[in-house]
Amino acid sequence: MSRRAPLDYEINNPLTNNSHSFSGLFKDLPLFISLCVVLGFGLFMLYSASGQSIGMVSRQLIYIILGLFFMLLVAQLKPESYKNILMNSYWFGLLLLFYVLINPADGYATNRWIDLGFFNFQPSEIIRLLLPLSLVAYLCRRESRPRISDWFITTIAAFICFYLVSRQPDLGTGLIVFISGLIPIFLAGLPYKIIFGYLVGLAIVAPYVWSNLLLEYQRQRVLTLLNPEADPLGTGWNINQSQTAIGSGGLTGKGYLSGTQSQLDFIPESHSDFIFSVIAEELGLVGILAMFILYGFIIWRIFRISYQSETNFERITCSSLGFIFLLFILINVLMVIGIIPVVGVPLPLISQGGTSIVVHLLAFGVILSMKKISR
Amino acid sequence: MRTDQDLISNVNDLERLKRRSSLLFFFVFLLTVVGLSKIIELTVLDRQEYFTESEKNRIINVPVYPARGLIKLSNGEIIAENIVMHDLSIKKSLFDQSSTEINDLQRVLLEPELEIQSNISQITDSSDELILIPGLSSEQLAKYQINKEKWPAIELKTRLRRFLPHKNVFSHVVGHLGEATKEDKRRNQGIKYQQGAFLGKVGLEKRYESAMRGKRGVRVVEVDVFGNQIREIERTQPERPLNIFLSLNLRLQALARQELSGRKGAIVAIDPNTGFIKALVSSPDYNPNILNKTENGSPYPKEKHVDAPLFNRAISGSYPPASTIKPFLGLLGLEERAIDAGTIIKDEGVFQINGEGRKYRGWKEEGHGEVNLHKAIVESSDVYFYQLASKLTIDKISNFLSLFNFGKNTGIDLNNESASILPDRNWKLGNIGETWFVGDTVNMGIGQGYIAVTPIQLASSVSAIATKGKIFKPKLVERLGDQDIEPELLFSIELNKKENWETIEKSMIAVINSWNGTAHNLYKEGGLKIAGKTGTAQIKSLVDQELTVQEEYEGIRKIEKNRDHALFVSYGPLPNPNLTVVVIVENGESGSSVAAPIAMKLLEQYQKEILEDV
Repeated sequence: MSRRAPLDYEINNPLTNNSHSFSGLFKDLPLFISLCVVLGFGLFMLYSASGQSIGMVSRQLIYIILGLFFMLLVAQLKPESYKNILMNSYWFGLLLLFYVLINPADGYATNRWIDLGFFNFQPSEIIRLLLPLSLVAYLCRRESRPRISDWFITTIAAFICFYLVSRQPDLGTGLIVFISGLIPIFLAGLPYKIIFGYLVGLAIVAPYVWSNLLLEYQRQRVLTLLNPEADPLGTGWNINQSQTAIGSGGLTGKGYLSGTQSQLDFIPESHSDFIFSVIAEELGLVGILAMFILYGFIIWRIFRISYQSETNFERITCSSLGFIFLLFILINVLMVIGIIPVVGVPLPLISQGGTSIVVHLLAFGVILSMKKISR
Repeated sequence: MRTDQDLISNVNDLERLKRRSSLLFFFVFLLTVVGLSKIIELTVLDRQEYFTESEKNRIINVPVYPARGLIKLSNGEIIAENIVMHDLSIKKSLFDQSSTEINDLQRVLLEPELEIQSNISQITDSSDELILIPGLSSEQLAKYQINKEKWPAIELKTRLRRFLPHKNVFSHVVGHLGEATKEDKRRNQGIKYQQGAFLGKVGLEKRYESAMRGKRGVRVVEVDVFGNQIREIERTQPERPLNIFLSLNLRLQALARQELSGRKGAIVAIDPNTGFIKALVSSPDYNPNILNKTENGSPYPKEKHVDAPLFNRAISGSYPPASTIKPFLGLLGLEERAIDAGTIIKDEGVFQINGEGRKYRGWKEEGHGEVNLHKAIVESSDVYFYQLASKLTIDKISNFLSLFNFGKNTGIDLNNESASILPDRNWKLGNIGETWFVGDTVNMGIGQGYIAVTPIQLASSVSAIATKGKIFKPKLVERLGDQDIEPELLFSIELNKKENWETIEKSMIAVINSWNGTAHNLYKEGGLKIAGKTGTAQIKSLVDQELTVQEEYEGIRKIEKNRDHALFVSYGPLPNPNLTVVVIVENGESGSSVAAPIAMKLLEQYQKEILEDV
């Protein structure tokens, strides 16, 4: 893969020396295996969370197989070969966002979905991956360091996506998309002076946004979070039930398929956004920690790939995707335990949802493609 | 080809990435710490609290109510039972004011002219539910089942309701149920009533409420978030309520009701040897099933409303005893030796205190001539008893009558018994604010004036003559569950001379048997031998007015409600009486021709009933 001799620092890096000999198809076997373990665990929990619905589990399994297939496909590509496509994919993402605003699918209250007949998906899920990748590709399009103008262009590009998603209206996802865009810009070396300038600007604009741009339900969501007990059957009800599920699970849980909150439908959206509560209720703190360790292992493998790779494009891409993956886990967990407002973020690789699974696995495909194989 | 410069730059870039990553990792670390501490707070520190909360979510207690105890006669005849009724009720929390559900319901289920009486605003805050159509017919039920999807706020409730197969016959004995009011709930703090629960409002239903209600059980049930019951976890069986058995006789009760035939009045028939009641009728009556919501319609005809059909005259009606008091006064006269059987006075139709002042007239204008005690009772001489009363003085009369339950509650096992009135000096001072006059005592002699009796009390007083002094507490219930209820002897009256009982009884027999008796119309050759006394209670006092008797009487009787009440007290058959019968027909005018024949029929019927039983 490499067309040049190994660099000194690479030789001295102990991490590169114990690369696996078996690394062809799967690139990074430990990462691949740990992904499969998480996905399997997800199916296992989905069976319980869906009220033991074989149908829902098999549909999820199909998406997983599809996602793994595309992941391995992408993993075989050379990053340089798709760098330009990635850079221009931004426009494709924008097109989807505009399309969904102008031409929403029937049957939904908000304009988030595109209906392909056989398959519905949310463009915002796709833009979460496309935006950071295209920004990294853009910033790393030359060998030299990005110019000043590049920082502003990428920030504006991220902001446009944020604005379009928040108009759906989905402020939470908009913010997540925005942060997903800002992570690679920051990692690519956004000067601290500019960061400071952004923060000052934000402080000036924020009060205006709160009172004029946020919709009532969005303000309500934020306020509910501050005091969920004030409103037990309204917006805070979901959080209360979720916390009750998590807390009642205790250290070791009530047992698989035996969570009363989950099995009797007290947990809202138990198969998708709130699947964490089901895990906590049935498997307890022990189950949660095991899951966290698994996630931690995956993240370690991502950053290992990142730091071992040779070009800025590869490193920044991997690190960004690693942080975005981490961000999703954090947001979902913090939301379910009631620390941040309810935003529609599934637990990566575990929650039910085709688009989410496929997009995350594609991201891992990109990461795997950047794995440096030493001979 | 790359230069060294590139290499250095590359290393710098990697270092920068690592620095910046570390910064982000720091934030991630902070958030992870926050998240983990929250998770530990939930799962470890507050675990118990959340566990309790989750149990509360899934487990509910569903009360199980036992079927209400039955009311039967001692022969097993069912007087009050429970039947299954289907009601349509509306749930306020699900009802949308703008929807047409109620109009639809009316259109589909009801005849056009029938309207749903209740309106939604009637639903109080405490009760979410309002019964719209009670007692669906099977046709209505079928129509509802077809359309129910269209009416989400309408609920079909199936419950047990009270039904009296004999309808009006036992209305004043059994009473009826009604929805628990806030007042009921407050007073019955021991019993928790379900929303919309029915409880006894009057009669035996009220008196034996707690015995017939039993204690509710509980089903502990697991539910899901929609309230669907998933499974039963445990069950505490309800405590079986008690059936109650009455001493009443069905045919006697029905006959009594039939004889009053809707006229205002009351009949009490009681076994003098035990106090158990064999018939207790107040007229007009009502259909308790309608108030129990097991039949539709009006509980009584509208025109009867002025006659207060819900009022139980047998235990709450207050009447002057009139001449029925005379045997008691005669007994007192003998006891006090104020008279003896031979004492004769001249009755010329008028009595004056010390031969002067106001004239107290007898019912017979020309008088009864020479009268002794026997004749005074048989012919019901007023003048004789005016004189006797004035001789006895109110204090003695009052003390003596009180032995016979006059002026007291009998303690019958029904609520709302009103006290009869036995006036004396203190009573008059306290209630009228005047001192007692001899004239008042004279009026007492013929059972008029302030004295008032209830039919049940009069029956217990007369029973004391029948039993030669034994006063039993009148009772309707002779068995409660498995437990027999014993007769309750309140006290025995001991006379100085026992023969005085026979003297009075002989006179009371002669009221029927003697040619000049006021109830001689009852006499049949070889018929039942009974003792009795007629009474005709004046509503407008004739004695107060200086008009001639006949004119006054004719003028007044044109208005029905001014007509005299007809009374008859009796017991029989002699020598071993087994039934005391008191009949009062309001505005019936004549004790002998209206009230007495009814009593006789009851006595005769009862003898047949007893023969059948044996």
